[in-house]
This record gives sequence, structure tokens and C-alpha cells, in this order.
Amino acid sequence: MIVGARQGKLSGLRQLVAKAMARELTGFLVPGLDIAHAWGLDVEAAGVRLVASPRHASVLLVVGDISPALRNAAAVIYAQMARPRALLVLGTDDLSPLPSADVTAELSQHGLIDGIAQLRIAFAEGAFRPEVADFDAPMLHVRVEYTCPMHPEVVQDEPGSCPKCGMTLEPREVSANDVDTHPHETHDHHNESHGHQHESHDHPHEAHGHHHETHSHQHQAHEHQPVDQGASVEYTCPMHPEVVQDEPGSCPKCGMTLEPRKAQNSQAHAHASLDHSEMDHGDMDHSEMDHGGMDHGEMDHSGMDHGDHAFMSMIDVTKDLPRSSDGLPMDWIDVPFGPFFPGLPSGLLLTLTLDGDTVAGSSARTLAENVALLHHSALEPHSFVARLSNLEPLAPLAYRLLACQAMENAAGIKTTAVAAHGRVGALERERITSHLGWLALFGQQMGFDWLLRRAASLQLKFQHANYQQIMALKPDIVSLIKRLRRTPLLKSRNAGIGRLAQDNVLRGPVARAVGINNDARSTNPVYTSLGFKAISRDSGDSLARLQVRLDEISQSLALIDATGAIEPPEPANIGSATGAGEALVETPRGAAHLQLTLENGRVVTAQLETPSTRHLTLIDALIEQQSLGDALLAVGSLDLSPWEIRQ
Amino acid sequence: MTTALILLLLAVGAYLVAVIEAWTTSGRWRLTAPITAGIALLGRESIVPRKSDRVFFEVAPVLLLISALIAATVLPLTPDLIITDLATGALFINAALVYVLVALLMAGWGPDGAYAMIGGWRFLGQLIAYAMLIVMPVTAVAMRAESLLTTQIVASQADLWNILYQPLGFVLFFVAAMALAFLPPFDLTTANSELAGGVEAEYSGVRLAVFRLGRLVLVITLATTTVVFYLGGWQGPWLPPWAWSAIKILAVTALMLLAGRALPRIREADLLNLCWKLGIPLALLNIFVVGLLILVWP
Repeated sequence: MIVGARQGKLSGLRQLVAKAMARELTGFLVPGLDIAHAWGLDVEAAGVRLVASPRHASVLLVVGDISPALRNAAAVIYAQMARPRALLVLGTDDLSPLPSADVTAELSQHGLIDGIAQLRIAFAEGAFRPEVADFDAPMLHVRVEYTCPMHPEVVQDEPGSCPKCGMTLEPREVSANDVDTHPHETHDHHNESHGHQHESHDHPHEAHGHHHETHSHQHQAHEHQPVDQGASVEYTCPMHPEVVQDEPGSCPKCGMTLEPRKAQNSQAHAHASLDHSEMDHGDMDHSEMDHGGMDHGEMDHSGMDHGDHAFMSMIDVTKDLPRSSDGLPMDWIDVPFGPFFPGLPSGLLLTLTLDGDTVAGSSARTLAENVALLHHSALEPHSFVARLSNLEPLAPLAYRLLACQAMENAAGIKTTAVAAHGRVGALERERITSHLGWLALFGQQMGFDWLLRRAASLQLKFQHANYQQIMALKPDIVSLIKRLRRTPLLKSRNAGIGRLAQDNVLRGPVARAVGINNDARSTNPVYTSLGFKAISRDSGDSLARLQVRLDEISQSLALIDATGAIEPPEPANIGSATGAGEALVETPRGAAHLQLTLENGRVVTAQLETPSTRHLTLIDALIEQQSLGDALLAVGSLDLSPWEIRQ
Repeated sequence: MTTALILLLLAVGAYLVAVIEAWTTSGRWRLTAPITAGIALLGRESIVPRKSDRVFFEVAPVLLLISALIAATVLPLTPDLIITDLATGALFINAALVYVLVALLMAGWGPDGAYAMIGGWRFLGQLIAYAMLIVMPVTAVAMRAESLLTTQIVASQADLWNILYQPLGFVLFFVAAMALAFLPPFDLTTANSELAGGVEAEYSGVRLAVFRLGRLVLVITLATTTVVFYLGGWQGPWLPPWAWSAIKILAVTALMLLAGRALPRIREADLLNLCWKLGIPLALLNIFVVGLLILVWP
């Protein structure tokens, strides 16, 4: 049995269909492929084909503990999935507001394979049920608000007219709670809170300004009537407002189909606006071309009584629309990318204001934010180290090392040379793993399937490899890099994209790709004794970042070769030391800095600075006026980790 | 009778394309996968987004399938196995395939979703890039055959296949055909990692099944067109004509599906640049060279 079964009796034919579904499971991954790889999971090898759109998925696969904001976003994804749909959860039991999991398993490849086997059985037996439950969650609820088609900043809860132009405000639906938690298609959620059981599910959100005017009119008139309940409906021609009749039909003057509207006494006033908003979208460019030479600002619009005129000038209609860089007014739409968008770091919510295919503005934030470092209480060294390494699933060892070093510095303990070498080996192995994980994600983003698969499979091999295994994998890395150098289109896809100037915000490979020699390893005596020299490039674009990371993979291999050992850091026994200390570790994404104070052997204060927190602020300037594909690639090339971002 | 046979062959072809496509993405041969995947899709809900433009949303997948089918009617698999040997066959293929654009635009506009809409408009941009590179190489092919009859075009390659006679035209046509079928690296309109499926993103259940079937038939139709125009159609030694057609079509299909896996997706601006600044001059050169060849070596 599965919770999200489709309604129907499991008859003979449906049994066959259910068996086919059980064989062909398609999955939507929460929080994302990068995290699944970091946990050592290979979902496709386990038999679930991953898809990019929740509509195409039959399984929602949740991997590991995720923040409440991500769970809310996952609930919206779940609501968009077509029935029958199932929920497979690995390694966490806190799911609210998602429904209870159909199958839970432990967080490992073995658990995944087990879980999928159980899920296939559940699907074959329970894909159809005579009675099905609706899925409801607070974030799926909507409320209606009213906004002016021409002045998006005018928003109110009651119907009325716009204080700026007098046009009637149009209803639109927005989420009943926080709009920002919508991960995927804000305007178009599969919503079952209305209790519909028929095939055409409702999708209540239109939180962005993407108007298909004609549809919404039909919609208002025929199915939904969010505001017009009780009012009688009359029909009028969009071009000839004087034509009004009670029955549907066509206009006697121009033959157009009459449009329904609610009858009102002050009708000319109320409805002229609807008609215009419909007309203006097609003609906007036009008006701009015809009247481009006129100085609109100087014209006295306030003297015109828009509301009472049946005709409204196109200049008026478009004058407040935002202008693209080419001067043409277009409808701008806000489109969410994330937090589970394929190819972007999972947990990152990127909202792009799109002007056609061009990014006119953006906002980026993380929904993956982890718990505070200290819960207002002192922590034992071991639990502090564990907390810090759990903070960042994409680079747990680096943060573990950071915590250990800061505590040792605070307690005044020196590590042995052997241990220090082992730590270098472990950190460099993690750098290789992390860079390969980024390569896989970057390959996915570029639609470069081979790179996605190759890098991911190498990443899984490197994850827990010992010294000998790593040396045996060296030829694979060499051939991967060689192949990438020869790949056509790769250079032209990345050259000049996401170009950054030298800036002291930058850290890690992003900084080294603009020629800033910022590498915490350069000042570390163990590294200098191994002959370490930071790699840098100077073009500062996506291509340079790719090259720096590829070079660093080779460099890390050489460093591991030189140290000859891999020893994950263990917290030293600090006894009941008291003092302050700090540490700086070059994580795969750049230098992270931790400052802490110890009191009687317990951590009482801690302050963490991470590279991704800094890099998040770059996004807006980086992608403005870029085309959508380039903008996403530029964000991807930064290798942000939403998990380590401290807001 | 011929019509039924060709429809059956197209169905088999679509099935084989699906098998090959599954192999290119997973590296495994699973002969039952297209069938079980199809059944699974049919058993799932087919959601209609609430504010959709219902007509566009419903018509788009069907139109995609139909336009690919109609183009296939003028393609000969053997000298006799052709639904209608139109006097304007080579042009007719073009005319039929234009509806692919219409279908994708409708699929983009229909569901009232941002990803789909951007995907639809992107394909319009893509058309501007590939359209000339379909028509101009076909012109050179028709010049050599001195006919637009597709059977005549195959017959004209009896001595030397067009892939050798006009290799440049073949490369241009092949690339343009891949762009027309929105196969990677030209999958700007469905880009998973940019538009979460784009024009396909909002379709589910039976409508998605029709959409995917339309895409498969489109790929097989374009592969057949390539074979007819450049690889000598049914011609070949030892084996019967239908076998040669089948082998060549499947080989071209596999090549089309494999090429994109080893490449990153092309940028829209780069695609337009390449097609206009490089592709069209090369296509003109191709027409000129073929013209010369026809004159000096009739």
C-alpha cells in the first residue's frame, strides 16, 4: 500500500499497470544529487531513474536530515507529483509536513537498494486503491489578493481600484503563508487541498506576474469565481465595450467572441481595465516603437481620466512597465530555481526575475540552513566536533579538522608530525571528492551526461579510499582531465561566463581563478614542507574556475602521494583546558575560519566564517543581464554549498 | 495496406529508438523498458494545470506526433514501400516538420508555466537557427536528383551516395536535424538543468506518453530522411532493400542519440552564431560545389 495511491480498484488490467509502474520507478531527489553523492548513494544504479520535473516522478526520495524550510519545499514537490506517488525516506524520520513515508531505510547504498525493493512490492500491490486520502499541508493553501495589472507594487486584500491609475485590481492567488518557500513552480502547484478527485487537479498559485490574461478570464468566469460569487455574469466584446449582452455569443461589430464579466452598475469604470490589460500585452512593443520619441514623462497623464474612458492609450498602459536593457517593455516574471533544481546546489533558492530569456534581477538564499553551532549551552569537545562536521555534508572532514585545530590551539596542544601528515592526506582526499562532486553537478547543469556519470562514479570511489586505492585511481583522473580538455563546445560554453573581478570577498578556487593567491595552505608549515604552491589562473570566468579545480585535483593527488598517509582528524584530549583559539582551514570551497573559547574543557562560544557565505553575495551582480542558461552556469561554477552558508 | 505497414514499421522504429535511447543514458540494453515505461505512464494521472490554455495544452502532443507521421508519408523504405510518392516530396517533408515548431510553442504556452513557456520560445529561436540548414542542403540534394521525388533522390545516388558526393551538405543537414528533434546538445527547449524539462515539464500520464512517442517518431522520421537524402536509401549489396533501410536508419538514429551525450549543451547565442555565420555560408558553398560537379561530371 502506498499513501499516494491512485483511486481505483486493483482490477486485472490495473494489476498489470501497477507491476509495470513498480518496475519503472522514476524519482525526484530531495535535497539533490550532490547530497546523494556525498552520502555515497548511486540512485540510478539502484534502479530508480531520476527526473527533473516532479510531474514525471513516481517516487519522492528524501535523503538525510533536512531543514524545516526544505521539508516545506519538499511537500510542495510532493503535491505536484502525479498519482500514484510514493515517499521513500533514507536516514531521517522528521518529515512533517510531508505525509508518513511509504518506505524508510537506512542512509546507505545498501539501505537504498533495500528500500527500493520494498517500494516495488508496495507499488505492485498498492498503486490503486478504492479510497485515497488527500494530501494537505499549510503551505499549499492559498489566499486571494488584489493587484493592479500596471502597478505591481499595489497589492491589497480587498477588491478595489488602483490608487495610481484607477484601474480595477485583479485577483491573484498567493500562498497563504510564506511565498518564498515554494521551490519549483510557484505559480502552478498541484494542490489537493481543494479536495478534487478528478483528473484535472488545481494549481492555485500565480505568485509571479506571468499573466496569460485570456485564460484567467475564462477561468474566473467558468470554474472558479473567486471574487465574483453571487454577481450575475454578462458578456462584452474586448474591442467594443458598448456591446453588452446577457448571453455568450460573438460581437455584432467585429465578430470576436464576447467575454464574460460580472455585471456591475459602474460597469464602464470597472471593466475597461480588464479589457485593456488583455490587449496591451500583444501590442506593447508596438506602442513603444510608435511613440518612442515622445517624452512620456512630460505628458500630463494625471489629467486624463482613465477609468471612465473606454479606450486607454498604449503609452499609459506600458509606461510603468519595467524596461529591458534594449528599451522594450515586457512582462517580467519571477521564476524560482531551487531548492531542488537539477544542476544547482541543493538547498539553494535562486529566484530570477526573467525578462524573456534574460535575467533582470535575482535573489539567492539558502533553505538548507543548519542548526546553530551552539545552542546557548556549552558543548563537550566530541559533540562540538560532530556538530561541525554534520554542518556540511559536502565537506564534513574539512570542518571536522577545523573544529579539532581550533580546540587544540585554544588548549595549546601541538599535534605530532605524523598526525599532521595524515590530516593533510584526509583533507586533500576530501578536496578531490568535493571537486569531483562539483564536476558531476556541473556536468549535469551543462547537459553533459558523460561528465555527470564519470565524475560521480569517481567521486564514490574516492570517498573512503585508502592511500593505495587512491594511487590506483590516478590514471582514471588523468584520463578524465584529458578527455575534458578535448571535449568540443566545453570551452565555448564556459569562456567568458560568470566573469569576476578581483575582490577580497573571494575565497578558494573562485579567488584563485581570478589570480588572487588566497590559499590557507600556503601558510601551513606541513604544506610548505611538501612543496605546496597555490594554483591560479587569471581570466576569472567559469572556464578558469573549471581549470583551477581540475588542476587542484591533480595537485591533491600529488600531495597525498607525498604524505603517504590518510588519517581523519580526531579531537585531541584537551582535559579541562580554558582559553581562546582559532583555526583556518582551506576547505574545498575556500578558507573557513573558526574562533572559539573553551571553559573547563567545554566549548562555550564559537564563531564560524565560511566561504559560501561570502560567495552568496556575488550572485546578483554576476548574473544580471545574462541569458538564463549562462546565469545558471555562472551560479553553478561558484560551487556554493548552501549547507555551510550562515545567514 | 502500405500505409498500415509503414505505420507498423514506424511503431517498431519508435520502440527501437526508445531502446537505443535507454542504452545511451543507462548503458544497459533493456528490451522491455519502452513497453513497461509506456504502460507505467498510461497508468499515471495526467494532470492539467488549472490555468492552462486547454486547447493548446491538449493539442500540442498530438500535433507533434502527427507532424512527424505526416513527414514520414513521403519517405521510401524500399522502391515500393512508400505511402505517397509526392512530386514535391522533398519540400513536403519541410512543410510537415514546421508543425514541430507549432506543437512545441503550443506545449510551451499551454500549461501557463514559466519553464514551459521559456522552453517554447527557445525553440522558436532555435528554428531561426536550423531552418535554413534543413532547406539549403536539401536544395543541393534535389539539384543532383533533378527532382523533388524522394524515390528519384534515392535513385540518383546509385553510383555514389550523397554523403560522399556532398559531405558538407550531410554534416549540415545532420546537425540541423538534431536541432529540429531537440536532441542533446540542442535540447535547449527541454533542458533538464535549465528548465526542469521545459515544454515537457508540465505534462504527465497519457499526455506525456503521447509527447514522448511524438518525439521518438520525429527522431525516426529524421533519421529516415537523412538515409533517403544522403545514405542511398534502400540501396546496398547482398541484403534486401528493406534490410538496408532498417540498418541505415538505426545506425543514424544511434549516432544522433549518442552524439549529444559526450557534449555539453550548446548556448543559444552560440547556436545562432554558428548556424548563421558559419552554417549558411557553408550551405551556399555546398550548393555551389554541387552545381559545379553537376556541370563538369554529369
